[in-house]
Amino acid sequence: PSPHPPSLTAMECRVLSIQSHVVRGYVGNKSASFPLQLLGFEVDSINSVQFSNHTGYSHWKGQVLTADELHVLYEGIKLNNVHHYDYVLTGYTRDTSFLEMVVDIVQELKRANPNLVYVCDPVLGDHGSMYVPQNLYPVYKNKVVPVADIITPNQFEAELLTGKNISTEKDAVEVMDLLHAMGPDTVVITSSDLPSRLGDRFLVSLGSQRHVRPDGSRTTQRVRLEVPKVDAVFVGTGDLFAAMLLAWTHHYPTDLKTACEKTFSVMHHVIQRTISYAHELAGPGRRPSPPQLELRMVQSKADIEDPAIVTEATVIS
Amino acid sequence: MSAIMECRVLSIQSHVVRGYVGNKSATFPLQVLGFEVDSINSVQFSNHTGYAHWKGQVLTAEELNVLYEGIKLNNVNHYDYILTGYSRDISFLETVVDIIKELKKANPSLVYVCDPVMGDQGAMYVPENLLPVYKNKVVPLADILTPNQFEAELLTGRKINTEEDAIEVMDLLHKMGPETVVLTSTDLPSKQGDQFLVALGSQKIKKPDGTNTDQKICMDIPKVDAVFVGTGDLFAAMMLAWTHHHPKDLKTACEKTVSVMHHVIKRTITYANEMAGPGKRPTPAQLELRMVQSKADIENPTIVVEAKVLQKSSQ
Repeated sequence: PSPHPPSLTAMECRVLSIQSHVVRGYVGNKSASFPLQLLGFEVDSINSVQFSNHTGYSHWKGQVLTADELHVLYEGIKLNNVHHYDYVLTGYTRDTSFLEMVVDIVQELKRANPNLVYVCDPVLGDHGSMYVPQNLYPVYKNKVVPVADIITPNQFEAELLTGKNISTEKDAVEVMDLLHAMGPDTVVITSSDLPSRLGDRFLVSLGSQRHVRPDGSRTTQRVRLEVPKVDAVFVGTGDLFAAMLLAWTHHYPTDLKTACEKTFSVMHHVIQRTISYAHELAGPGRRPSPPQLELRMVQSKADIEDPAIVTEATVIS
Repeated sequence: MSAIMECRVLSIQSHVVRGYVGNKSATFPLQVLGFEVDSINSVQFSNHTGYAHWKGQVLTAEELNVLYEGIKLNNVNHYDYILTGYSRDISFLETVVDIIKELKKANPSLVYVCDPVMGDQGAMYVPENLLPVYKNKVVPLADILTPNQFEAELLTGRKINTEEDAIEVMDLLHKMGPETVVLTSTDLPSKQGDQFLVALGSQKIKKPDGTNTDQKICMDIPKVDAVFVGTGDLFAAMMLAWTHHHPKDLKTACEKTVSVMHHVIKRTITYANEMAGPGKRPTPAQLELRMVQSKADIENPTIVVEAKVLQKSSQ
């Protein structure tokens, strides 16, 4: 059944997003909030850090929030009895005690609202290496992923969390099943090295969603997408992806195919617009700089609100 | 297809986890209107201080400086607008002034939109020693100023009892710096009765022949029976947006700004009363602005208030 178009109904849906804030650019909460607000979500945001810009620039400066300070902010919300959320969204974290405090908060919020959906991007690394401290790995594996409902690991993170390598689509399906067994009913492997049917200009993404039918039996929908590669390093795209997957699984809770098509399509539009603009700014034959490659978020408003589908997901068994 | 604006705002205001004040109030509407918004959060609180409880952390002047240094080191300290609002700390405010001066050197066309938040209804609600900083350092740098009556009186040392007084006060404020001044609310009696308050605006315009003229306007704005927080922040942000689109037409800029306020406030009050239930006064949590729900009104506000142009004077 198709849901109401987002624009016609005032949704009452509140997200708690605990991510970085950058003064300039689009990563963390800066990447997630505006698109979610455009789609009608109320976004409460706890900024885990405040930096001038993301750490891919030549320079960056700022301050981090401690686990204690996070707790203090949460206490304020709780004292006012407004700690009621439909979603929690988290991403890049570098601090074990901070992450553990996040887990405590998620658990308490789930007690307050058992229907709460925790969307977790288990940011650990990419291309075979970790880029967060190693001791975050057991926290994700043993504490975070078990309370997550939707996770968006890349191939490296999925392999790390399950201890299983992905060389074939069959491996990927098994890894996603292992991840389901750890907690989340929805898993999207956002990118993988698997060879694409469309050639080497494409990467493969996969998704898997478990449902319980009215009769109590379980079913799993699995999808595969061929996603065009881009010749640039973007920062903040993973944060946008997780936020948009939150939005589109909200509107299509039992249709992972459509939720993924919309999410990947939004990504495509934002990235295309960004890359065109970045090349314009950089000039012919020059590689764009990190500031020039900041996502063209506000300019992509229409695509975020109503993404034209540019990528079709295949349902796989 | 409308042209893509390339307009970057640096907004230095509070952040609240929940609700709409400071940067939370200003950012989304400006982004919806196509502005790039860089935001420095001067504090991070759970919610605004009108709730029963609030908790959080403040940014020191030193930390503000460090953030600005990061922007500067990357050579991206180029802005078209700066926007500031509620501040409680002198050294923080003075660091803001230094930053603005530097940004104006980097871009002489930069427009500083300043809400000189000091108090209302005859009483200050920031430390008293902020007044000299606003008066002597901040307002002289401002290009657009959005004081309420109390703040305008405080800054100029003159009381406003009549429309003539208001005009003189706005002219005094022009002399202090800003070319655009909006008295966001006054006690002046409205011709439409006591369910309305009077707001006024004044903008100095340079004519092509080099002489100065000014446009003065006044508006009758429906009063609302509720205490809102964050509306002043939304007002300043929308003044920024609509003066950007109507730089020499204060009448239109104010009509759009005040109209957006009206739509957001009406939507909020309806929802708050629904949430509270019949005969009950809504709580601060229930009175949070219905910002995301007001997107269409923010993008394209239907004009609901007409500004009257007052007698022009040339110099």
